[in-house]
Amino acid sequence: MPSSRRSVRLSLTAAASVVALAALSACGSSAAPPAAAVDASGNTVVTVAANTDFTTPVQLTVPRVEAIRAKLPKAVLDRGTLVIGVGGLPNSTPPLDLIGSDQKTLTGNEPDLGRLVAAVLGLTPDVQNASWQNLFVRLKSGQFDAGFSNITVTEERKVQGLDFATYRKDNLGFEVNKNTTWNFDGNYQSLAGKTVAVNTGTNQEKILIEWRNKLQAEGKTLEIRNFADTNSTYLALSSGRIDAYFYPNPTVAYHVAKTASTPNPTRSAGSYSGAGATLQGLIAATTKKDSGLVEPLAEAINYLIENGQYAKLLAAYGLDDEAIPKAEVNPPGLPINNS
Amino acid sequence: MTSSSPPKPSQETELPQPVKESAETAETTDDLVDKLESRRVVPLRHPWRWVASAVVLVLLAQAAHALTTNDAFQWDAFGYWFTRPVVVEGLLLTLQLTGLSAVFGLLGGIVLALMRLSRNPVLQSVAWAYIWLFRSIPLIVLLLFLANITALYATLSLGVPFGPSFVEFSANDLLSFYMVAVLGLSLNEAAYAAEIVRSGIISVDQSQLEAASALGLPKGRQYRRIILPQATRAIIPAYANQLIGLLKGTSVVYITSLLELFGVVQSQASINSGQIIPLLMVGTIWYIVLTSLLSIVQYYLERYFSRGALRTVPPTPFQRLRSRLRTTGVAR
Amino acid sequence: MTVAVNVRGAVKSYGTNRVLDEVDFTAQAGQVTAIIGPSGSGKSTLLRAINHLEPLDSGYVTVRGELIGVRLHKGRLRELSERAILRQRSRIGFVFQSLNLFPHLSVVENVIEAPVVTQRVPKQQAIARAKDLLTKVGLADKIDAYPRQLSGGQQQRVAIARALALEPELILFDEPTSALDPELVGEVLTVIRDLAAAGTTMIVVTHEIGFAREVADHVVFIDAGRVVEQGPPDQVLVAPRHDRTREFLGKLV
Repeated sequence: MPSSRRSVRLSLTAAASVVALAALSACGSSAAPPAAAVDASGNTVVTVAANTDFTTPVQLTVPRVEAIRAKLPKAVLDRGTLVIGVGGLPNSTPPLDLIGSDQKTLTGNEPDLGRLVAAVLGLTPDVQNASWQNLFVRLKSGQFDAGFSNITVTEERKVQGLDFATYRKDNLGFEVNKNTTWNFDGNYQSLAGKTVAVNTGTNQEKILIEWRNKLQAEGKTLEIRNFADTNSTYLALSSGRIDAYFYPNPTVAYHVAKTASTPNPTRSAGSYSGAGATLQGLIAATTKKDSGLVEPLAEAINYLIENGQYAKLLAAYGLDDEAIPKAEVNPPGLPINNS
Repeated sequence: MTSSSPPKPSQETELPQPVKESAETAETTDDLVDKLESRRVVPLRHPWRWVASAVVLVLLAQAAHALTTNDAFQWDAFGYWFTRPVVVEGLLLTLQLTGLSAVFGLLGGIVLALMRLSRNPVLQSVAWAYIWLFRSIPLIVLLLFLANITALYATLSLGVPFGPSFVEFSANDLLSFYMVAVLGLSLNEAAYAAEIVRSGIISVDQSQLEAASALGLPKGRQYRRIILPQATRAIIPAYANQLIGLLKGTSVVYITSLLELFGVVQSQASINSGQIIPLLMVGTIWYIVLTSLLSIVQYYLERYFSRGALRTVPPTPFQRLRSRLRTTGVAR
Repeated sequence: MTVAVNVRGAVKSYGTNRVLDEVDFTAQAGQVTAIIGPSGSGKSTLLRAINHLEPLDSGYVTVRGELIGVRLHKGRLRELSERAILRQRSRIGFVFQSLNLFPHLSVVENVIEAPVVTQRVPKQQAIARAKDLLTKVGLADKIDAYPRQLSGGQQQRVAIARALALEPELILFDEPTSALDPELVGEVLTVIRDLAAAGTTMIVVTHEIGFAREVADHVVFIDAGRVVEQGPPDQVLVAPRHDRTREFLGKLV
């Protein structure tokens, strides 16, 4: 437990009221981990891509790697758990994270990767679903050991006290209605005159604002819309209020497949790197700066890449295109001033 | 407008005379009573009321038709989701959070209102500052802060203020997300309830307190028996509004990782993105059901607390309907 | 004769406005004392000071020899606790000018509230006594009515019954008829007249000079916070010695 934590004394009355609250029925919601068993040789068998209606479950065997485990901070070793944070509330980002077919349990590519990493480290995974805002508060305060939640490496987040161990390409995509003809050709100028929705507080938004500024300098327009959540954005897209939705490419693919048989089908209209024109954007396991976890996390991911479990996991979710050859610690990210 | 003829001993049966009068009518109005088959007055008919009613009913029927026949609403999907366990769990969480924070908020609000109305300047300013602060902080920020208070204070202890402690709790054990949600909502609710209760209390005439005090009733009794029951009448409609706001406002608890009704609907819609509209309708209909129940409770509470405030207590809707049917001759 | 109420050197100011200015005044037990005077003369304040609804700045009040609202401590007057004051008040009935029955309680509930709570009279007994009192004020048939279902005069009669229910040593009336329609004044005055005939100690602030003359044993005329003149009604009301009294009475006729 970090020494910076202080303890507070409450007066009798205040504490008594808290106790009164405590006496009432409490039911927290934490996602139960899927079936994971340790076999005779000490290997953990993790079932991934389970509990969804668009994947086939795959069993992956992961040994505990003592050499990497030895590098873990003592506090984590003593605790024996790896607290994995996912920012999937209230909106999931399938197939990266989502509530499974049982309409209860958190699943998806990223929680699965977190479980595999925990198995390499010999830790019990404790996957917790949180709101995007809470995810970051908890990562920075060390309450979550590692965020596996489609978090892009950005220079700004590094400054804010976070370390990164990359595990996937950050490819972004444009989703449009199927009955339209527009396509993104990789050049921001093709967005002139369009209205595009983007999620607030994301690297997609930063990229889009940059493009809008460039277009404005050329006397052209790009209208950016922020909606409260993905659901309202999808509704705006199907009602034609926006021309395109710019967000993570795996989710574009998922949503295009999901809407294929509905009255308002969509299609993908091109992709883009999440770190700007000159840099491949990268998604990373995120941890509090200097928590001592970033190196073991990166090595565990590299172990999974070298031994094939990583490729099988991405394939199970149809994310082969997003694979990276090697996990890096704190690589260059989306610049603070993306220009 | 009395007639120009000499005054009669009784004015009761005298009727105003038309401006243009023939000899015959002038004669008949005086002894009209004899010519009437019945003295009963036929009320004025209101044909336009019927027309307006018809127009409104047609419009309603059209709206219902539009709702039921548009594919976008996917009523079969609505039916699937409406009673799903995950939705019902969210609904129960909404009810629990609303119920608990309504009760704690109201209790806290009563204490705060009495503090604000007390003559003690310290109590007054503390209550004022509390209300000012908690009405200013966005609920979502308050919840996020409380959910992470464990990062600031790892242990909470029960004991003498600033002195030794008897029991220590790990903040994380004590403040589950559920607890955080109830605590945050209650703290926030208390600030609003305090002003509602205070407005109710000051709406009771000051002379009531004076009368109670002249009778020598103890201070607590003055408030419990004399002031609060009368204040309640003004408090109920405002607090019912507040509660309905709270019912829907609980959706912000997603920030602490709890999914209540709306959170579940949003979460499921983000996965089943072809069914966003039916899922939103599921949330809406449940909210309509809950709001309706609250409104019924409000109605009967108001009726109960209007004792003495009105000369006669208004009839319940059922009594009104029955008497309406009786007068139109549908039922007897 | 026993002294029921004794007021000595009563001073009360609101800011720079001295409402009571060294008032001395005595009321005898078993008598009706009427306080008259122009609006703003301080007569209501004086009455309210008697049961400590209006704390004095200086001076004191005794009822049957007991200090009201204060106690003597090392040569100084110290205000009593709220509790003790409330206990003292339950010995002194007060009927207000404004109609302030508790509107959410029925007539009988209004009457039994104080005896049941402050004197711990068993409820059944209190109800029986309330019925007697309500019969006495002519409202036996209104026991279960709510105050708003009654006329102003009826409400004021219930208020008198409410004050009587505590079996007070003294009843204070603060202009009990001034909020009433003229035709309702009579019924209230009749009740007070009956009480007077039964020998109840009462102090009545009133504008009804005829009533004062008929019922009061003693009349006190107050102006600008001072007692100008007091004495038997035939003297103060018929042959006043002071010009100010004469002027005031002249305006009323």
